Amino acid sequence: MDLFHDNALLQGVRQMMGAFAKSQIRAIAAKHDREESMPWDLMKMAGQFGLTQTSVLDGRKKLTGVDEDPDPKKPKSQARIGVVASEEMAWGCAGISLALGGSGLACTPVAQMGSEDQKQEFRKLLTGADDKGHVKVAAMALSEPATGSDISGLKTTAVRDGNHWVIRGSKQWITNGQSAAVYVVWAQTEPAAGRAGVRGFIVARGTPGLVPGKKETKLGIRASETAQVHFEDVRVHDDMMLRVKESAAAGLGDTKKMLDSTRPMVGAQATGIARAAFELLLDRVRGGSLHGTPMASHQHIMFELAEMQMEIASARLLAHRAAWMADHHMDNVAEASMAKAHGARTAQQVTTRAMVLLGEEALEPGHPVEKWYRDAKIYDIFEGTGQIQRRIIAKQLTGHNPT
Amino acid sequence: MDFALDDDQQLIVDTVRRFAERELRSWAADADRAGAPPERLAAVASELGFGLDAVPADAGGLLEGSYSHLTRALRGFELGRGCAALAALLECNVEPALAAGKWGGQALQQALFASMAKGELATFVHDSRGALDVAGDRITGKLGPAPALATASYVLVGTRGLLAFVRCDDCKREAIVPSGWRAARWATATLEGARLDPELVLARGDAADAALADVLAWARVSLAARAAGVAQAAMDHAEAYGKERVQFGQPIGKFEALIRLRDDAQTLTRAAHLVAMHAAWQIDRGLPGAYDSASRARVLAGDCVARATIDAVQIFGGYGFVNDYPVEKLMRDARAFEALHGDERLGRVLAQKAGS
Repeated sequence: MDLFHDNALLQGVRQMMGAFAKSQIRAIAAKHDREESMPWDLMKMAGQFGLTQTSVLDGRKKLTGVDEDPDPKKPKSQARIGVVASEEMAWGCAGISLALGGSGLACTPVAQMGSEDQKQEFRKLLTGADDKGHVKVAAMALSEPATGSDISGLKTTAVRDGNHWVIRGSKQWITNGQSAAVYVVWAQTEPAAGRAGVRGFIVARGTPGLVPGKKETKLGIRASETAQVHFEDVRVHDDMMLRVKESAAAGLGDTKKMLDSTRPMVGAQATGIARAAFELLLDRVRGGSLHGTPMASHQHIMFELAEMQMEIASARLLAHRAAWMADHHMDNVAEASMAKAHGARTAQQVTTRAMVLLGEEALEPGHPVEKWYRDAKIYDIFEGTGQIQRRIIAKQLTGHNPT
Repeated sequence: MDFALDDDQQLIVDTVRRFAERELRSWAADADRAGAPPERLAAVASELGFGLDAVPADAGGLLEGSYSHLTRALRGFELGRGCAALAALLECNVEPALAAGKWGGQALQQALFASMAKGELATFVHDSRGALDVAGDRITGKLGPAPALATASYVLVGTRGLLAFVRCDDCKREAIVPSGWRAARWATATLEGARLDPELVLARGDAADAALADVLAWARVSLAARAAGVAQAAMDHAEAYGKERVQFGQPIGKFEALIRLRDDAQTLTRAAHLVAMHAAWQIDRGLPGAYDSASRARVLAGDCVARATIDAVQIFGGYGFVNDYPVEKLMRDARAFEALHGDERLGRVLAQKAGS
């Protein structure tokens, strides 16, 4: 089901990632969900064919074999490639796709704001294996216990001390929080300046005072690690502070922009979960009978599937539109939010209805639809909750933030 | 029409509410993580009369006169507010006890009621997927997944043309821990040509189908009441959290979008609770519409609990998704209310299509 039939690049990515998801991700999805463990072996293997932990930093050339035109004004294809690959991988397993791409969250601000030296240092910290023999991963440490949706109220502080900054605070819901070899931590450098005072710092694992905290037991996406991280007077050299372009109002101003290209991908991941549940039902319907009549002859069932397909198709189109706009350097704030919010809603609706249609069967431990039902929920919460997305869309309409 | 509770009903509601708030809620998280109920549950349950409430007093139980499904629905709502998994274990004896009392012979009644008096469990399993094959006095196929089946001594099996008890020793049981109601001692069971003991057969043919309709009505009303209770618990938690969590300079519970989520869930919950009680009232009076009402109560409460628990997780945000907070469990617990005993929406659609 290729959306843009004429785009050989996207078609190729879809085929390659779809095959990878089917043969590699699906095979281990139930195990990592049950054990709440990271798919380290698969992460290593993915790195060997180009899906590295630093893919975002390197561009996706290795993955696609395509050189983007270096002219910044020319259209790119990166956001659309991200959307296509995200849907396929999450179709395999949302948790594993987040484990494979989790470092990308930290790579993005480094790619956008980092100096060449910082990028080099960051890459160096992610080279090789850690002491357990695992691929090295990075963590983006932004959210805090009291600061979820409202990122302007960060409590973590960075205080200047000579050539260093001293960082103090706790971070919550941090992807790769326990295992990361390097962290990009966001801290307030000028409390009076509010949002404009927030800066990102690159901090290596093992830096004194950096203490990975408790790993969370979660409803879903259990193959992706989520943990608290504590910064107890962590000293970081000024060289490792991400610089803010003069045009940007704040350090976070740049990270907000980055969300405009990641939200379509997040919407596409949710679409992938919905599609997985839809395809399982369709497969069941094709061979199934109901009291001696083919399931496919019943409106009771088939109209539900038709509804699901409509929702999935519209979620995919929204994600592609938002990504296409990002690739063409257009302002896509509202469109990115629509893609993310609609994908999340679709994933929840489709998996919930699939559970009902399958009935008692779906209660059995390890049933994939039950897992997808649990995985889907996070898509309405992380990367801006459904309410935050609607707030963004609403503000674009009138200029006001409704409360 | 009088909606007031009588003194006995009010006493039961108050007692069970206290029990649910003080005990069940405090046990719920640990029981969920352990995949097993606390050891104390059995002792406390018997003290409060659970397990024997549908066993006649002259057989060692607590039931005098006719059973009140309305009282059971009132109690079920409160139990659901406590913990869905533990509630299932506290309620599972009712269908087997009532069925044995209504259609069973003396030998069955003696054996089953004696087993329950010892604190043992029985459970009811509806073969909603047509996975059982009955040939003469042999029964083959798979039962479940069903709560309490892992530890029950007897299972009441309802399938087309047969309502009968099976001794759990005659089944090959596999204990499982599903994602929801984790502490409810689930199992699947396989019957491989097990012999049906004539003393344990309650009904066959059309009589069995009619009897099964009765049992399903009891079970569905109870499920509906408990589901509404879980939905209420989800909204209780969300309301409390909305008051304490501050984002963008105000408690998040003050945002209109979140008020709407809770308000709509509250409307649904109120309706589900009332429809369940109405169906129970119809059962108690033996009214012909009772089966239909029970089924609709279950469907409504299933929708209600699905929505309320998903929205409670939403209101908790990132904390809703992690196990340290109570609502992700509720979202997992919601599923069984819609899945157990089959999809009666489908049943009604097919029946109306086939009818005139």
